[in-house]
Amino acid sequence: MFEAFTDVNHSFFGLLNQGPLTLTIFLHTVIVLPMFWIYFQEKKRLQNKR
Amino acid sequence: MQGQSNFKYEGQKLASWYFTVAMILFGAQLLLGLVAAIQFIYPSFLYGILDFSIARMIHINALVVWMVYAMIGAVYYLLPDETGIEVVGIGIAKLLFWILTLAVTVVVLVFIFIQVGAADIKTIWFITEGREYLEAPRWADIGIVVVVLGFLANTFLTAIKGRRTGIMTVILSDMIALAGLYLAGMFFTDNISMDQYWWWWVIHLWVEATWEVMVGALAAYALIRVVGANRKVVEMWLWIEVAMLFGSGILGLGHHYFWIGTPEYWWEIGALFSALEPLPLVGMFVHVLYDWGKENGFKEKAGEDTSSNNTPALLWLVSNGFGNFLGAGVWGFFHTLPQVNIYTHGTQFTAAHGHLAFFGAYATILIAMFYMAVQGKYGIKKLRATFASKMAIFLITFGVVGMGVALTIAGYEQVLIARAQLGATWDAFFIAQNQTWMAQAMDWRLIMGVVTTVGFFYLVKDLLSISKNPKNVY
Amino acid sequence: MAEKKVSVWSDNRFWQRSATWVTGFASLLLIWLTFDTMGQITMGNQKDINNHITKRVPSATVINYKVEYKMNQRRGHEVPVIGGDDGKGDSLFKVKENFFGRDNYSQKEADALLHLGKLASQAKNCMDCHTLLGNGAYYAPDLTKAWLDPAWQKGGTMQAMTGKSTKEEAMAEFLQNPGKYPTHARMMPNLGITQKEAVGLVAFLKHMATIDTNGFPRGFGKIKEGVVYARSK
Repeated sequence: MFEAFTDVNHSFFGLLNQGPLTLTIFLHTVIVLPMFWIYFQEKKRLQNKR
Repeated sequence: MQGQSNFKYEGQKLASWYFTVAMILFGAQLLLGLVAAIQFIYPSFLYGILDFSIARMIHINALVVWMVYAMIGAVYYLLPDETGIEVVGIGIAKLLFWILTLAVTVVVLVFIFIQVGAADIKTIWFITEGREYLEAPRWADIGIVVVVLGFLANTFLTAIKGRRTGIMTVILSDMIALAGLYLAGMFFTDNISMDQYWWWWVIHLWVEATWEVMVGALAAYALIRVVGANRKVVEMWLWIEVAMLFGSGILGLGHHYFWIGTPEYWWEIGALFSALEPLPLVGMFVHVLYDWGKENGFKEKAGEDTSSNNTPALLWLVSNGFGNFLGAGVWGFFHTLPQVNIYTHGTQFTAAHGHLAFFGAYATILIAMFYMAVQGKYGIKKLRATFASKMAIFLITFGVVGMGVALTIAGYEQVLIARAQLGATWDAFFIAQNQTWMAQAMDWRLIMGVVTTVGFFYLVKDLLSISKNPKNVY
Repeated sequence: MAEKKVSVWSDNRFWQRSATWVTGFASLLLIWLTFDTMGQITMGNQKDINNHITKRVPSATVINYKVEYKMNQRRGHEVPVIGGDDGKGDSLFKVKENFFGRDNYSQKEADALLHLGKLASQAKNCMDCHTLLGNGAYYAPDLTKAWLDPAWQKGGTMQAMTGKSTKEEAMAEFLQNPGKYPTHARMMPNLGITQKEAVGLVAFLKHMATIDTNGFPRGFGKIKEGVVYARSK
């Protein structure tokens, strides 16, 4: 199921590298996802204003 | 920029000093660039006197230092405007200016007259550190850090005391990062991979992250001043730009870690993050044009004069929007994927990108700041472009784009022949260098370099004389 | 309760918080990645070689060993091979090679040579004409795998020109008197490199060739005599 590890040293980030773009898409996702939370929090704040 | 000064604040006067030195260094950059360009065509030119390594080193260092000078100047210029008060500790700020300028002069003289040293740590401390862009010897590094700490203290104390705007918040946090990163380049190691790892922290995180954010902040300030854009809208754009620039730029650092001994996972990280780096640059371009058009629309509706209050600055601002996107964005994306970069890394491709990006992203907006300082200095309500202003922007832009195209062609030839076809050896390198297409590209690079330099002289003339022509000032 | 219509997308606070989050978290990730990479690119030592441990940046004592650059099927690109290969494209760490007449440099001696060479590479501004690991200026050839360049091997043009019988001696001779051995109209200037510094620089170059650069440059020196069907100057 998992891709064989080919780099010189084993590492967590190397492990996430499971084929095309898996590592970078994972990192992008964890950066962008919390913005949804910020979005809804700000929405609530704006709605409660006035 | 001499004569009667109408600056409202001493901080802005100090800014004009920084801008003056920046222009002198800009001239030095072009001069040494021409020397290096000539050496590509006639290798015996100044051989043994001012070798390519020295000409090229001063060429790129003058570039970085003039831009740093202009950025420091720009911050001193907008600081009183944004905070509404005089720069705190202006006396010390002026003293620091002289210390920094003296240090820069000594470093340049040592570069020109001593050039290289023995393989000894003393050389690293007193002559050159020999790491591209960071050649300044260690003593100067420490001096720079001290001066920058003073500059940070000035700006922070002023910002705390005065009005706090979104633009100031971005600039302050950006400058801490900018100054802190410099420290990553101040050590010696025998391990070249380790050396280059941290070297890129300085180079990349400066020019592809913190400097870009600085440009965003300067553009925001300039839009408010020059076209009267709405502050709330401009600052919203600025925050979006910060999110996108840092979001892509910080981990985009990975595109320098493909081949220096670092792990393979950087291929993926560097590829996608840096591929997204052009996005905020597109945003910035749209933002400049959008605000300009919107404000013009408002003025038209109200029956007001739609011309901007500083046409040359606006022209440079628009060329910044486009140049940043084209030079940094498009040309950067060309060779940012590892699949492409394995062949383009270390070829004239990089030089093409470097010329277009430094010019498009930084030179343009800093020149716009120079024009704003001229306007401020003489208390001019509306500054109109002169013939020299137009010649300056046309020739400089045309020249740099011409150099960029010539170097791109040279890079393409080098990639295919020296790298893909012949396998990157010593012979492969020179076979590629000898090709007619490479030689022609180098000829065109020199011609376009001369065009750029002529444009530079128009720029100097214009900055010195634009205020004196009543036709252009009202 | 009816939802009040609000525009979060045009709200400065939303973007300010997003910018702060994105910047902070990306920085944290970079710091984490940096720690991971630091561990992987720390220079090895002779013990690693003795234990057949492949390091991305191996011990300075690799100057005692034969060095090659070969296609590795598992990695999918070329990798440095130190002391012969084990048949699978990995280093065997066995086959020695003389470096200036010796193959028994101690850790201390090798470290000192590398230190001298790295210092010289900076003191002489190598990077402002050449590229090292692909970074630097584009006026002169890339030096990443210069040690393995066919021109310096036995029978190669550069070695023949200097009249020396080993590549390390040929390289050291060239570095000390570059003006004497022009390979192109674009000559390397005389940088006052001493005999000792030259030996250090060659050690630095040999060591750099053993750094695992993930297959850069690709196909290095695979084509020994380049034929380009175009007019040249």
